This record gives sequence, structure tokens and C-alpha cells, in this order.
Amino acid sequence: MQVLANLVVLTAIYALISCGYVLIYRVSRVLNLAHGELMMLGAYLLFTLASLFKGGPELAFAGAVGLSLLVGFVLYVVLMRKMTGELVIAAVLVTIALGILLRGLMVLIWTARDLHPISVLGWKNPPVPLGGGTSISSVALATILVAVVLYLALMLFFRYTRWGLQMRAVGERPLLAAQRGIKLHAVYALAWALSTFSGGLAGMLLALDSGLGSTMVIVGLKAFPAALVGGLDSLLGAVVGSFIVAAAEILAIHFIDPLISDVVPFVVLIAMLLVRPWGLFGTKEEIERV
Amino acid sequence: MTESPPMLRLEKVEVVYKKVITAIQGVSLDVQQGQIVVFLGTNGAGKTTTLRAISGFIGTDDAWVTEGRILFEGQDIANWPPQKVANRGIALVPEREKIFETLTVMDNLEASVGAGASRATRKRMIDTVFDHFPRLATAKTRLAGYLSGGERQMLAIGSALLCEPRLLLVDEMSMGLAPRLVEELLDHIVTLKKTLGLTILLVEQSAHLALGIADYGYVIENGRIVLDGTRERLGGHKDVQEFYLGQGGGDARKSYREVKQYRRSRRWYG
Repeated sequence: MQVLANLVVLTAIYALISCGYVLIYRVSRVLNLAHGELMMLGAYLLFTLASLFKGGPELAFAGAVGLSLLVGFVLYVVLMRKMTGELVIAAVLVTIALGILLRGLMVLIWTARDLHPISVLGWKNPPVPLGGGTSISSVALATILVAVVLYLALMLFFRYTRWGLQMRAVGERPLLAAQRGIKLHAVYALAWALSTFSGGLAGMLLALDSGLGSTMVIVGLKAFPAALVGGLDSLLGAVVGSFIVAAAEILAIHFIDPLISDVVPFVVLIAMLLVRPWGLFGTKEEIERV
Repeated sequence: MTESPPMLRLEKVEVVYKKVITAIQGVSLDVQQGQIVVFLGTNGAGKTTTLRAISGFIGTDDAWVTEGRILFEGQDIANWPPQKVANRGIALVPEREKIFETLTVMDNLEASVGAGASRATRKRMIDTVFDHFPRLATAKTRLAGYLSGGERQMLAIGSALLCEPRLLLVDEMSMGLAPRLVEELLDHIVTLKKTLGLTILLVEQSAHLALGIADYGYVIENGRIVLDGTRERLGGHKDVQEFYLGQGGGDARKSYREVKQYRRSRRWYG
């Protein structure tokens, strides 16, 4: 039972992170390999705001979420916007460089030691019993709820709103979308903002549950196979991919050795790339051949 | 030439791809308000590039108007991004990639309505498109990727109309369609011109049908305009008959490239 509960929690974490990869890939075919660092940046922002607004933890949390949204927007406008029209691979390389830069900056600003934003916020994280001796932490429960709400909101957003429709249109044919009067840069900026928003949220929840340190980047990187297994341009695929990667990881921890847990997602990734490179729910034609 | 200033005027326009490949050079043309103008030329002559230069390039095109001016209603719109051109009142129906295949017919249309339109306005505008093309109304919920060639063309024209253009650019509408269907679509174009007061610039390879509805025409070869005139003048011109109407007599249709010396009066500026 406890295994099952852990599986659901880990799936929720991966799902929250991987949708950020999907959002950007879907509209611009760019893999944002700085997503792990951006997620960590969200968590650090929470820590800083929590230290600043000692009296209002809710305000600090809301502020950090808002700032995460802003980070994506600003990143697009000042950096990635310049990359439109360049090769996709060039844009991906820029995100790698950005990730390394961010990691360095974060060590400079917040040092490399482990931080615990939850104690600064003054919140508690009691275990929630689920019956049968099983329990998960309150933050873990919140993570599951947030993941569910976020995915439902995003699916409704894509299906029923004009911005969502424009994002789908731009994702398929940017040139035609522009010719129909859709503002390309606004759509891309929104995708980046939503991506850092969801990623930042994931980072904050993770930091609340288990503290904040340089290892968080690894979690972000492990969510990448989850997005890719699902197919990179599908939200549903990201959920299923997250579940598969989480399941493989938890099974490996239980039956083989906890030490290999960080390796498992990438084994799944390689297996998937060999069998079905476009992922479970991805669009086959969308893959750019090597 | 009429005295009133033209709605669209290209002045010695040159387009360069990837900073080195000159696609068109010294292309000048006028489109008078309320006219249907046909732009004739064979594969690779520069027709599509000219239209794309008017409607705007995006970064991945890696193309720029390096010389000349593109005046729309008196304003130079050369090198404007496509979304700005679309909002200015020029809509393009591209030759390829003209619809969003992963979206339904309805979503294709919804996505094309300009920003800021209320729900009621959007519905009214889309209903107008359905009035013009009833076949789209019956296919509302279908994915555009499953439409037939004719339906795709109707959807593409319908989507372009939703940008509320005053000038409509149509690229190779007849490509891959049965002649009867092309005739039907050309009839639609004429109707659009009459009912909406649209001005239309039509690009075609085959002059057969297009010249029939045109007020004026241009012929482009190797990136330069070589001939222009009214429908009557072009239709009666020996070269047009031979190369674009297939009335050369003797062998099958010839290409102007096979002719060693141009017999026509060359006409380009600059």
C-alpha cells in the first residue's frame, strides 16, 4: 500500500514538472533543458520571499508563484525571442547554457547548503494517514491535488480558450498562424510563462516537502524522460509517461537497490527511444531525424 | 493606367533568401482597388516569393526585402511581420500549409478571427463564411486534415476572410484540383469581390481559367516581370497564348525557357 501511495506522489511530482517541457515543446519545438534549474529557481524565490515576508506565508507563496510566471515571460522576451528563426538545436543549446548559468548564479546567491523554506514559512507538514498503516505527507497530498487541478485547467485552457486555440495553431504552423494575425511572440511568451509557472510550483512543493538543495536539478532532469516517454507534445502523454517512469523507479528501489533510482528514468528513456522514438502519445511526423 | 493611386504598389522589389540567393529582382506592379489582378508565371518564376514578400516573412524564412518598396494604401509595409500585415488588411491564402490540419474546421476559423472580437461577433463572422461555403458548415466538427482538396481550399479562403482583409492574396489555388472545382472556386472569388468589395491578387501557373476573371495581369519570368496588360491584351498576346494558354500549335505546351530569344517586349523597371 505504501508503495502505491509513493507511486502516486512521485507520478504527481513528475507530471507537474514534465508539463513544463511539454508546453514549450508543443508550441515551439524547443526542448527547454534549463527546466530543472528554473524549477529550482522557483523554490529559491519562495525561500527568499518567505524570509522577507515573515508575517504572511501565504503572501510569500503567492508572490513566488507570480514571480515564476514572470521569469518565463522575461526569459522569452530577453533571450529566447532572439532565437526564433534560428535552428531548433541552437535554441536547445541556449537553454543548456542558460541552465548552467542559472545553477552558478543560484549557488552564488543562495549558497550550496540545504535550505528548508517550510520552517521559514512557519508551516507544518504532518503525515496524512490513508488507512492500513499507509501515510503520505501533507505537502505530498497537496502536490497530488495541485497536479490534478493544473492538468485539468491546462486541458480546459487548450480546448476552450482563444489563447489555448492560438497556442495549438502556432504549435502546428507558426507561419500560417502569423499570416492569420496571431501574435507569435505573445503566444511563445505565454508558453514560457506557463512552463516556468508550473515548474516553479513543482519546485516549491518539492522544497516544502524535502528541503531545497542542488540535487533538485536531478529531479527536474528525471522528469524529462517522463515527458519524452509520453511524447513531448501531449499533456495526457506527460501524465502517462510520468506514471511509467515513477513506477519503474519505485520498483527498482524496492526490488533492486535504492542507489540506482536516479538511473532508472534514463533507462526507460533509452528503451523508449529505441522502440518508439515519438513517444506513446506523440505525433510521429513531428520528430526531427538525426 | 488609371489616375487614382493604386491600393498596392510594388516598386522595384528585390527579395534575397539566406542573404545570398536573389529570388526576385526589380519587380514592380500595381493593384487597383476593386480589381482582380492575375500574376502568371511558371514554377520557380518568383510568384510565391512576391506574394510572401507582401504578406511578410518570419524568421525561419530567412528572407528579406532588400530593395524597393511595398506600398499598401500609401504605407510602406516591406519587411513587416505577417501578423502586422494581416491586421493591416492583407490576407494570404498560401499554396501549401494553408490550414491547421490538427484542428477542426470550426477551430481553424475561430483561430483566424482577429483578437478582440466578442463571441457574438465571431459567430456572425464565421456564419458569413458558412454562407459562402455551405460545405464547410456540414464539416464543422471534422479535423481539417481529413478534408478533401476542394474543402481545404474553401477553408483556407474562409479563414483568410476572417482576418477582414481589403486585399486578398491567393497563391496557386488551382494546384492539384480538378478543373471543374477550380472553376467553382474562381466563381467564388468573383462573388467575394462583388459582395465584400475585395481587391484580389491571384497567382496562377495556368492562365486558362484565371485570365477569364481577371481585370489585369502580369507575367513574371526568372524573378522579373516581362509582360503586363489587360485581360484582352494578355489573352491576345502571342507568347501568353503559346506558353501559358497552351495554344502554341504543333507540339504540346512549350516553356518560355525553350525559346532562345525573347520575342516579347521586355518590360521591367531599373
